Amino acid sequence: MLNIERRRQFAELMAESGWDTLLLYGHSWRKDFFRSLVNFNFFGPHAVAALSSSNELSIVVSHPWDYGLLAGHVDANITWDANFTKILHRLVSGKTAIAGREFMEARFVDESTVSATSAIETLRRFKTPEEIQYIRQAAQLADAGYKHFVDVAEDGMAEFELVAEVEAFLKTNGAEDNFMLIGSGGTEVYGMRPPTDRRFRSGDNVTTELTPQVHGYYAQICRTLVLGQPNENQQRSFQIFKEAQAAAQNFIKPGVNVKDVARVQNDVFRREGYGEYTGAKYTRVRGHNLGLYPDENPWVLEDVDCMVNKGMVVIAHPNTYLPLSGYMVFGDTLLVTDDGCVSLNSTEKKLFTKGV
Amino acid sequence: MKRGLITWDKTEISPAVFDKRVSGAREVLVRRGLDALVVYSELWRSNQARFFSNFMPYFNRALLIIPKDLPPTLLCGLSPRVYGWIRSVTTIDDVRPAGNFAKPLFEIAAERNWNQIGVLDLDRLPYDIHKALHGAHLQLKSVESAAVFNPATDETELIMRRKAVALTKQILDEEMPAAVGLVDHDFVGRLERRFRRAGTEDLVTLLTNGKTVPGPPVGAKLEDHFSVSVAMEYRGHWVRMTRPQTTPHVLAECRKLLEGKVPARAEYLDGSYPYECGDGKILALDIEYSLEGKRLFYGDTLV
Repeated sequence: MLNIERRRQFAELMAESGWDTLLLYGHSWRKDFFRSLVNFNFFGPHAVAALSSSNELSIVVSHPWDYGLLAGHVDANITWDANFTKILHRLVSGKTAIAGREFMEARFVDESTVSATSAIETLRRFKTPEEIQYIRQAAQLADAGYKHFVDVAEDGMAEFELVAEVEAFLKTNGAEDNFMLIGSGGTEVYGMRPPTDRRFRSGDNVTTELTPQVHGYYAQICRTLVLGQPNENQQRSFQIFKEAQAAAQNFIKPGVNVKDVARVQNDVFRREGYGEYTGAKYTRVRGHNLGLYPDENPWVLEDVDCMVNKGMVVIAHPNTYLPLSGYMVFGDTLLVTDDGCVSLNSTEKKLFTKGV
Repeated sequence: MKRGLITWDKTEISPAVFDKRVSGAREVLVRRGLDALVVYSELWRSNQARFFSNFMPYFNRALLIIPKDLPPTLLCGLSPRVYGWIRSVTTIDDVRPAGNFAKPLFEIAAERNWNQIGVLDLDRLPYDIHKALHGAHLQLKSVESAAVFNPATDETELIMRRKAVALTKQILDEEMPAAVGLVDHDFVGRLERRFRRAGTEDLVTLLTNGKTVPGPPVGAKLEDHFSVSVAMEYRGHWVRMTRPQTTPHVLAECRKLLEGKVPARAEYLDGSYPYECGDGKILALDIEYSLEGKRLFYGDTLV
């Protein structure tokens, strides 16, 4: 449950930074900083791990059931207390840095502390072998989940009914959680969102990103399914997305810059005359890092300056709106290796169809 | 994580209900000399903004601004491409990009000559937003949650929570008898399917075979007298229910124990998190019952 490699890295960071105490804070939405050291899936609203400069570890959770499950399983001083304002102020000792300080409730923050968020994010960006193994498992589950998505989707089914089936499948197969968005329809569709009660119709693009979480770590897959025979515009559109994703996958290796990972994808759209659809009006990002949070930094954008290096796990997804066929998605989870990257997904890279 | 059907069924919650809630907040604003009320919302802390507008983000953060004399505005971290969806499931027409929250809020305040605004539970804002909002000419005053957000005295809130409780009870009653012998992941999957198809937005399922407190599934085969604890969110309304799969006699004993329990520690569902501790009037209570060396758990949502 304890990430030994991270503990070593965090101890080094503390020594380099002159911190006496490092707090790794998590709440129900952002468990990632806490779980980067103590990989425990707490369900009470708050948890914090405190690492001292003498390498002693204390853990405080906010719900007694979390305490009941954690106590005795980690070599640390473990307590529970619902009053996290008191707890977090009490844990401040000497020069104290907090990872997750920005999203903590303001009442929790002692003004004498400093933020460790960026420094810890930078360390977390490069995954340990154990973390990569978890992300591989999550990617395999994403593949299986997408197969189930295609198997189950049908004309007349409501979006939320399909999501229910996919969630059931992923949880049955061991996912802790899943971040999933969906869209359906044609050129009137500009993005994905939570499911609605819209019912699928023949000719629809049914887009999704599945992001199952295994042992805390997320992997993602983006694919587009057409119900019925794809028309010429849907096929042409997909070829652009496929080429853009391939451009990223072929480009990514240690030493390249994230902004260029975005650029090589966008250049495909520009060459095809769709450059305006690579901006914020029609799309969000060309990809992002993955790990204990499904949308980790860096985001793959042309104005993000960040070097790619071995051990990063990033999804390249040129998802955007095109007037050809509406919003379309396509992307794989990529692991950066010594001299390039490999996809952790095995799902076929094609425009999926159903009911042809 | 929110991924179920987020919708606004106006036969369940009419526009007049939201109007009344907003009017109640405006009365507080007028009494306190405040120009607007700001309500924070995010993936997990969404119930208060939802109470006033039906807005629930599926990701990212937002500020709902309720002026004393104008329609509400939403400063939203989500992409403008989903503003149409937001308008379709909320009472809000005016949706704007959030940026760092401070700049657009200050611009609105300047346009409207606001001097002093209220922020719901100011010291519970995320630290970065809290810091960004301070230091400008605009004065911020904390408005305590209880002054404007009282789900326990709101008839529609209670109706919705009762509906959520009834739905939860029905699904557990139907699914639990066949669960013994299943792997816990399989049972959780079955619950996901049933709850999500019934319109549940979010679901947290914890289980135990009686050797520990309830926790996330671990790949164990469910045994006689296992317990399941479900926190489910239906249309923005959290409820909790915990049941053991046991004999009617033991269930009756558990119920009696719960009814007689004086909570030493209140877990309330008036707030945002389903496992939050503190004060409130909508309580999630659980008791533990010992049977043949096993720990059985039973709990309900109570007003």
